[in-house]
Amino acid sequence: MPKITIDEKDYEVADGLMILQAIDDLGLLMSGVDIPHYCWHPKLPIDGSCRMCQIEIEGVPKLQIACNTPVKDGMVISTQSERVQTARQGVLELLLLNHPLDCPICDQAGECKLQDYSFDFGMPAGRTKEPRRVAKKAVDLGPTITFDQERCILCRRCVRFCREVPGTGELGVFNRGERSLMELFPGTQLDNDYSMNVADLCPVGALTTKDFRFKIRSWFLDDVETVCDRCSTGCNVYASRSNNKIYRFVPRLNDDVNDTWMCDHGRLSYKMGRENRLESALVGGKPASFIEGLRKASDLVRAASESGGTIVASASPFSSNEDLFTLRKLLETLGAPPATFSVPAGKADGILTQAEKAPNAEGARALGFQESDELAGAKLGIVFGHVLPATALTQVEKWILIDTHASDLSGKAAVVLPSRVVTEKDGSFTNHAKRVQRFRRVVEPSWEAWSEGALLQQIADFAGLDGWSEPWDAFAVSKRLCDEVPAFSGCGLTELGFCGCELSK
Amino acid sequence: MITEPLVKNYLTEHYGDDSFRTLKGYEAKNGFDGLRKAVSMEPEEVVEMVKSSGLRGRGGAGFNAGLKWSFMPKGNERTKVLVVNGDESEPGSFKDRLIMERGPFQVIEGVLIGAWATGASKSFIYIRGEYAYAISVMEKAVEQARAGGFLGKNILGKKGFDHDIVVHSGAGAYICGEETGLLESLGGKKGQPRIKPPFPAQHGAFGLPTTVNNIETFSHTSFILSRGLEWFQGFGTEKSPGTTMFGVSGHVERPGLFELEMGTPLKDVIAQAGGVRGGRALKAVIPGGISMPVLPASQIDVRMAEEFLSERGSHLGTGGVMVMDDTTCMVRVAVVASYFFRDESCGQCTQCREGTGWINKICDRIEHGRGMPQDLELLSDVPKLLEGQTICAFADAAAWPVQGLMRHFRSEFEQHIEQKKCPFPDSFEI
Ligand SMILES: Cc1cc2nc3c(=O)[nH]c(=O)nc-3n(C[C@H](O)[C@H](O)[C@H](O)COP(=O)(O)O)c2cc1C
Ligand code: SF4
Ligand code: SF4
Ligand code: SF4
Ligand code: FES
Repeated sequence: MPKITIDEKDYEVADGLMILQAIDDLGLLMSGVDIPHYCWHPKLPIDGSCRMCQIEIEGVPKLQIACNTPVKDGMVISTQSERVQTARQGVLELLLLNHPLDCPICDQAGECKLQDYSFDFGMPAGRTKEPRRVAKKAVDLGPTITFDQERCILCRRCVRFCREVPGTGELGVFNRGERSLMELFPGTQLDNDYSMNVADLCPVGALTTKDFRFKIRSWFLDDVETVCDRCSTGCNVYASRSNNKIYRFVPRLNDDVNDTWMCDHGRLSYKMGRENRLESALVGGKPASFIEGLRKASDLVRAASESGGTIVASASPFSSNEDLFTLRKLLETLGAPPATFSVPAGKADGILTQAEKAPNAEGARALGFQESDELAGAKLGIVFGHVLPATALTQVEKWILIDTHASDLSGKAAVVLPSRVVTEKDGSFTNHAKRVQRFRRVVEPSWEAWSEGALLQQIADFAGLDGWSEPWDAFAVSKRLCDEVPAFSGCGLTELGFCGCELSK
Repeated sequence: MITEPLVKNYLTEHYGDDSFRTLKGYEAKNGFDGLRKAVSMEPEEVVEMVKSSGLRGRGGAGFNAGLKWSFMPKGNERTKVLVVNGDESEPGSFKDRLIMERGPFQVIEGVLIGAWATGASKSFIYIRGEYAYAISVMEKAVEQARAGGFLGKNILGKKGFDHDIVVHSGAGAYICGEETGLLESLGGKKGQPRIKPPFPAQHGAFGLPTTVNNIETFSHTSFILSRGLEWFQGFGTEKSPGTTMFGVSGHVERPGLFELEMGTPLKDVIAQAGGVRGGRALKAVIPGGISMPVLPASQIDVRMAEEFLSERGSHLGTGGVMVMDDTTCMVRVAVVASYFFRDESCGQCTQCREGTGWINKICDRIEHGRGMPQDLELLSDVPKLLEGQTICAFADAAAWPVQGLMRHFRSEFEQHIEQKKCPFPDSFEI
């Protein structure tokens, strides 16, 4: 492995890489080595055009770009020399020549690379006297994205993304020289399933999503690591929140899952927690207090179990490993057969989305649940919502429904208890590739709702079942899951880290 | 454009003879002797010979041609390609046009020598679109060469020596003369220079190993082969052997092309063109096409070869000598050059895209009496931001003329700003 020196510190880097990539792979770009860059993106082909990443290499007369200079053993690099600083300052001065001074009204402010680098490396004052390039304001590129052409610094990240990832290539840079403009190809729209990623890629405020635009200033947001639950890929995301409200999902880097992309459908799914929620318990189809619901549910469980009647359960592939494990334990306690589950199916697109449109079907399989679209005949059913149609429950006398959203099931259940969506709880999912990934509580519901596992524990406790008095806690359950189910060993919530772990074979 | 009997020439010796443009006429003048000589040698020997001849590329950068050939990968696993650069868009440069129009078989022979030496089986002659006539002459010559067995399979009876040539027309962009911009354009893409690595010898035209040389560069090689090293090195200087075609334009009596030895004193080059028009005083000369820094009249006692011109802060470039007499407003020269570079920048690199426009605006307002004192500082700072920091040398080419003009004629810029107008009413119009 080549040894290189950067700013008088020695590093050992992987062979055959460009300097910037090698440094990024060591995690140094985030901490330790500051090489500003615009056009380079770890997941896109190298462009080498912004010239922001110039560095000085001992023995090489000209400054070189870190993004397209291969590492060589013994290289001595300066990222701070006076020449480098002057060059950077020059690039920034030139970029600002034609960039509007929009920061106060620009959505990117606070997370803008032009703003940040100008503060870090730029000139104290501008020297330009001439009017800026005239370009379009707030152009509709398609259903999801608005384009402020004036702000574009022509880094071509968006262009390369559309060519490389969705393969749709709607965008290009037209004309040349200072008349260059990023535009849609004539007759096209930016309308693909991944279109909103361009807003994340854009280092400035030129591309913004219509969904997020003007909703909130970025500095009011804090980001929570979580995962998308709209398909079995489980794209890693940040949920940006403020005041107990989620404003957006943005993809988070995970080389084993989603690089740094996500589909538009998944991105907008943060809104699902807001609409049509079950905000109270229902008993016999009528709103009831949470405690009433819980009592009723525990009565049903006790009655069914005391009368020796059969109990069946339908799990949900939207539930966490921890919630599913709790269900498994409860069914064991009750002497009931293992739960079944059913997975909503859609199309895989060969990019990110999988055909299984739920995050945790693999988790359910790993816990020994069987796939089935119908529940066997029984006195009592315990049903996790989301998936089954009411017709699947015709052979069950009564059922307890645990669900997040109102549906045609809710009116027919004997009891309904409100549960939490993915952004309201802690837990883990096992994705299609058997990678266990942690999600985190981002917001709190403003009514009483609990995760499926916590509800089961409370029902069991109210019903007086042995060993169910301890309040439910995702972390404690996770630990037991790892201890008791060998496949999950090493996949506890505290062990999953940023990128998750694979189930053991 | 043909001029006087030339002092010493070999390239242009028969350019007055129309039959020289036919295969028969070319062969009658010992045409293809160089190629015959080449195929009697091992390919590596040919590369070595061209390398040790010291022949420097005539496309502007002056790189040793044989050395460049030696970068081509050995072996025949991948098809190898030669590209002949006939894009010739540098203002002040018009030599390649004459070669293509009057000596097309010299180009073809040079290409075949290069093909033998490097193992290339395909070549593309990329000619600027405006050169419609040169394109038609080259196309006819290629057809005749093919009919005469000089292209195709087993050329000159050498088993496995296969080669064919495609004549390709550009669509009019200066940047398509830069070798990797040319390769993109040849591949049907927007003409934008590529980042290196990878280099053309590994990943060139259509991703194949490629060598790009200028039209004139190829044309010299047949003479090196047929007449030998010693003969070739009898022309020019030690570091820059051979002749070259100086294209003299501007304020001279007889603008035109002159094949002269490398190292010919600039004064003699200007004298060949009949001297400054109307006996006026010389003010300045751009020695190598618009990209190269200007030399004031006081510094024209220089020999026309890179090693001497670089001592004076300029370069030989393409040998396009632009002569300016004392009526010339040097700020206008800057304005004209800056418009060209503003319009021709491909726009990828930040410095070049934004800087060429800025330089242009500053020069333009100074010329039109709207300059500000701080513009002088800008004109010395901004070109520095462009120099040596971009994907291709275009940005240097855009920086150098202004830097040269500011170095030698700063007082004219100051005068414009002080007087709020151009003090040279008789200068050329813009
Ligand atoms: C902006 C720019 C324009 C160029 N235009 C031409 C051109 O028109 N013709 C040419 O032969 N070389 C041109 N060159 C030089 C080529 O990049 C390349 O160096 C040359 O074709 C190599 O041939 P040579 O080694 O035989 O000179 C240009 C270079 C730059 C940077
Ligand atoms: S719109 Fe944004 S991402 Fe696209 S080229 Fe412009 S600055 Fe880059
Ligand atoms: S691909 Fe699947 S996991 Fe990823 S964002 Fe889309 S729906 Fe969510
Ligand atoms: S220097 Fe100018 S012409 Fe060359 S690649 Fe960069 S922008 Fe294009
Ligand atoms: S990041 Fe290296 S040139 Fe843009």
